[in-house]
Amino acid sequence: MSRSTKGFVALATLVVAIAWLSPSPSVDIAAADANSVLKGPTIGPDVEAVEISLAFRPQPDAKRVGYFGFGESATEDMIAGWDIDVRPDGKGLPPGSGSVEDGEVIYEEQCAACHGFFGEGEGRWPKLAGGEGTLTEDRPEKTVGSYWPYASTLWDYVHRAMPFYEPQSLGDDEVYAVSAYVLYLNDIVADDFVLSHENLASIQMPNRDGFFVDPRPDVKNTACMQDCKDPASIKITWDSTELGVTPIDHFRAEDTEAAATAAQETDPNLGLTVYQQACSTCHKGGLAGAPVVGEAGAWSERLEQGMDVLVDHAINGYQGSAGYMPPKGGQIQLSNQEVRAAVDYMVKNSLEK
Amino acid sequence: MWIGFLLERALSLPRSEESDMSKLRRSGAAGLLDMVADKASQLPQPERRDFLKRGLALAGTAAAGPAIAAGESGAEYLPPNVPPWTRSLGRGVVTRPYGSPSDFEANVIRRTVPWLTASNISSISFTPLPELKGIITPNGLVFERYHAGVPEISPDQHRLMIHGLVERPIVLTMDDLMRFPSASVIRFIECPANGGMEWRGAQMEALQFTHGMLSCCEWTGVPLSVLLEEVGLKKGAAWVLAEGADGAAMTRSIPLEKALDDTLVVYAQNGEMLRPEQGYPLRLLNPGWEGNTSVKWLRRLEVGDEPWYQREETSKYTDLMEDGRARKFTFVQETNSVITFPCPEKPLVAKGRYEVEGLAWSGRGRIRRVDVSFDGGVNWQQARLKGLVLPKALTRFSFMWDWDGGPVLLQSRAVDETGYVQPTLTQLRDQRGVESIYHKNAIHTWRVAESGEVTNVQID
Repeated sequence: MSRSTKGFVALATLVVAIAWLSPSPSVDIAAADANSVLKGPTIGPDVEAVEISLAFRPQPDAKRVGYFGFGESATEDMIAGWDIDVRPDGKGLPPGSGSVEDGEVIYEEQCAACHGFFGEGEGRWPKLAGGEGTLTEDRPEKTVGSYWPYASTLWDYVHRAMPFYEPQSLGDDEVYAVSAYVLYLNDIVADDFVLSHENLASIQMPNRDGFFVDPRPDVKNTACMQDCKDPASIKITWDSTELGVTPIDHFRAEDTEAAATAAQETDPNLGLTVYQQACSTCHKGGLAGAPVVGEAGAWSERLEQGMDVLVDHAINGYQGSAGYMPPKGGQIQLSNQEVRAAVDYMVKNSLEK
Repeated sequence: MWIGFLLERALSLPRSEESDMSKLRRSGAAGLLDMVADKASQLPQPERRDFLKRGLALAGTAAAGPAIAAGESGAEYLPPNVPPWTRSLGRGVVTRPYGSPSDFEANVIRRTVPWLTASNISSISFTPLPELKGIITPNGLVFERYHAGVPEISPDQHRLMIHGLVERPIVLTMDDLMRFPSASVIRFIECPANGGMEWRGAQMEALQFTHGMLSCCEWTGVPLSVLLEEVGLKKGAAWVLAEGADGAAMTRSIPLEKALDDTLVVYAQNGEMLRPEQGYPLRLLNPGWEGNTSVKWLRRLEVGDEPWYQREETSKYTDLMEDGRARKFTFVQETNSVITFPCPEKPLVAKGRYEVEGLAWSGRGRIRRVDVSFDGGVNWQQARLKGLVLPKALTRFSFMWDWDGGPVLLQSRAVDETGYVQPTLTQLRDQRGVESIYHKNAIHTWRVAESGEVTNVQID
């Protein structure tokens, strides 16, 4: 920061300090009319000056390239290792290819647990396929096929962030193959298709023309002050308390255990719901030594201690020889009953299969 | 989607005959203490402690009438008696070298709504807005949003690469970055999905969940314009891609115009280095824009001539309209406001005088004024703006009010310096339908019942 800028900040700060120290407008609440507007500090040139000085930002000046000279040059090698982004025109794609056929094998191994075997999505994990023609419907399904405008985004995202548990673990050809398979699940390519750096940019996604640049501000309200509408016309259309879907135990001291029991009694899916949002991350694939749902042996072994012990470990946490179970799977906001329901669900779906 | 699923599930829940809140109102604070003690005795030890703490916090805030101190023995600590902490010694210095809030504030924490997301690794938590004072959000209470958990990154091992259409591609260490001239600004960050659960109807029962994807901090870092000047822009430069170093390697395309205007490469927050969940050691800040563009754990900036159409600017963070087409690059968080007292978490306790308070903010600049209504928007009165009124920052407003004990429909309506007036939900729905998920900045309604209880409702 230059000397003159420093001086400016100091001066501006002083001016504001003086402004704050000057006799403040009346804030005698008791004496004031309750409905009148109390005068307080208002924005003015002083605050403005501070803001300008704080938001110190010189205009770029071509003559000052390398002015500071900090850091080291990014070599081509360094850039190649990190520059992984791909654009719709194919810029950024590495050489390679993968077939729908190969993609199916990788997909079922790496992706299906969350996204479903047909891209239908398990629980609240993203649905990848289907949904064509639903964007104007009451419950639109935004999938790769129905919504994504460019195939490059699919390749880029799988490559940078998937599989969820092990991002950037797939080779380039594997990413081509999985991308080809997801396109196939969406009926965008045929079952003998081979996706490559040469043909990816030419794939026409169904919703490629479905986007337009933000036109906001798009609504115009007015600051009407008096008789803005007919009081008799006001009706309450929604009341959040009628739903009862929000965690509110921390401020409305309800009998949480009773409520959870009641919820389980009236909601046979409670166990599944809790499992999907709190347990499946580990218990679906066996992360951290977690017994996998569906593997009867892993569960019957543990059940020998009794269901209550199992539930107790799920609620309070447990360090076993196979791995660590965090209390309530790390989601301490769950009630004990909700955890019990999830354990019930997992045991039932493991032993009965 | 989940809204429908939850409606179906939720509508089958029975309502309790009489809430503890109304029991409490009949029996007063002593009743609550008894109730808390009684309930706690039925819980296992660790839960009991937490329950007592929360129950006592509630007694401290919600109880009217004869006051009883939040202690085991009640009135013996109150005047004319002298409490034990006045007749004994407390902790010495550096008992807690990095200070933490009082144990009596254990209720002031971030919370999540578990069913919103598939896993807490890729999820969101909410800032406890009802408990906040002034306009600054303490670092430990800033809402969290990430897509692959919080990475633990050593600043020594972190690098920022700047390349693409630039004269001098460079790699910077954290030490390098901190040698550049820095700027500090107070700015809000808001997830564009804030309030997005309520496009179809009111379903969040707490202010923390209706508006808590929102925080405001003092951010310190290097103006991106300084860094871009340092590397030199080549002809055709028009967009900057920002990328995170976490397991999601999150990316967003930022127009160069914004990058050269007020975008900041941030390493500090409220006077200390960034918290891990806020991007330690480095993040982007695009003031006034959807929070997702302020990429955390920032490792790479690439300058290009076109946007990249990454997942977070196509599949997500695009706003679906009724005709099936979607808006892209919906960057600005438009003018919004909400009353933070009273609110569901902070009900009224008796007739009388109250300072109604709230927060207003605009991604386009300063809040010019806020109006409040007590009758569902028939009549409005101008509120007072309190403290600092900064552009693209939370702005606190207040209004002195005599509550006569009658039912009230409480609303606030903010106007920013561009003259934009916060719209009604009906206006937004008429224009956009109910499937756009993001950017719901509608006038919010709290219903205050005769009991003083406050609920989230929507009105026509």
